[in-house]
Amino acid sequence: MNHLSNADLVEHYYGAGPSGAGAHLARCAGCARMFAALRSGLDEIQASEPPERDASYGDRVWASIAPALPRYAIEKKSLLRSIPLRRGLSYAAACALLLAGAFFAGRVWEQHQQSSKIVVNWQAPASAPPARQQVVVVVLGDHLDRSERLLVELKHADAGSTETIAPLRDEARTLLAANKGFREEAAQADNPELAIALKHLDGLLVQLANRPGGLNAEALAKLQAEMNSDRLLFEVRVLRSRNPELKVRVTQPMSGGTI
Amino acid sequence: MLCMGKNDHATIRAILSGDKEAYGALVRQHSPSLFRVAWRITGNEADAEEVVQEALLRGYRKLETFESRANFGTWIYRIAVRCALDRVSCRTRDGESRVGEDRIGEDRGQDEAQVADEAAGPERLLLSGEIAALQDLALQELTTTERTAFLLRHMEGRSGEEIAQALGILPNAAKQAVFRAVQKLRRSLAALRVKA
Repeated sequence: MNHLSNADLVEHYYGAGPSGAGAHLARCAGCARMFAALRSGLDEIQASEPPERDASYGDRVWASIAPALPRYAIEKKSLLRSIPLRRGLSYAAACALLLAGAFFAGRVWEQHQQSSKIVVNWQAPASAPPARQQVVVVVLGDHLDRSERLLVELKHADAGSTETIAPLRDEARTLLAANKGFREEAAQADNPELAIALKHLDGLLVQLANRPGGLNAEALAKLQAEMNSDRLLFEVRVLRSRNPELKVRVTQPMSGGTI
Repeated sequence: MLCMGKNDHATIRAILSGDKEAYGALVRQHSPSLFRVAWRITGNEADAEEVVQEALLRGYRKLETFESRANFGTWIYRIAVRCALDRVSCRTRDGESRVGEDRIGEDRGQDEAQVADEAAGPERLLLSGEIAALQDLALQELTTTERTAFLLRHMEGRSGEEIAQALGILPNAAKQAVFRAVQKLRRSLAALRVKA
């Protein structure tokens, strides 16, 4: 074993030196001499005894501090006292709150978006009508947008395909009611430009929706020619850009599906 | 050496359940040892008594953070050491200086602070032959950490681990603090003896 350091000797004096220190001191005169000097010096440093406290000292201390101590609340279930669990519950509650807030905001936003365009009310039948009807508020911009799509599809429609023509006819029937409402609105508002354009559109929608026997190739070609000659598609696009916010209330059968 | 009574944990559970009076048992059990270490560090009886009360108050308020696997005696002892060091630190900041405290043969019941006497140098103390005064003087030359570590080791018989916990330092740092204190004390006392 190597010679003991001063730190080792100090530790050994207090009974916590390295193992084998005692045996080394017994063999090594140099270390033993150093340790003896250290022990002599430390032995001289006597521990001064603190003033004696009598047996009632603890009682006096308790009497002096007891009034300042608040009573702990009755301990709840220990699980609830667990700090990690409480922290976890806090996070979970915060996440749930966030999700609920996002869901609610989404609902409000969605409702706001819908109400800005369409308001749907159920109108009770006056005297047992054959089918229930719905009253819808149609925005002119939307109406013209749908009309424009219909015209584009009509322009490129294939007369031989029933699958192509049938949806166009249904859509034309749906648009007719709204178009009538807008025409009346345009007449009352003294907007001849809009009224004329809607009249052109009305004529085409009537033919498309109500032609007896449906559309054959000849009838379709005629409609396409009228549409082109009236520059109807162009007119619809111009009107849509000029009158996007005009609204009318339209009554139509529920079975009509979307407006 | 403080022993953790097996009933201490049960007592603490009772306190946390609302039985405030149960703390009285812990106070009575641990007050003497707390006073002892507080007196060692502050060197003053009145300060030591205040430290005991403050430590027990702090301990009560922190009782919820006490870990059941810990030893209440060691835990409250550590709080008392911190309180005592705080008090010494405040005293130092206030410019109050103590030399030899009340262990230099004067009235130990005297509460008032002893202001450093410029004339109370080594020569006078050696001439009076009071070895205890030399020791106290040498102790005052140590840093707070060294002095506290040495007092806890040499006079309180605390282990390095306990000293480290009480001072909030690493065990090796506590060991080094004790070693430095011993070296400084030996040098100081040797020099004073030569002068004598």
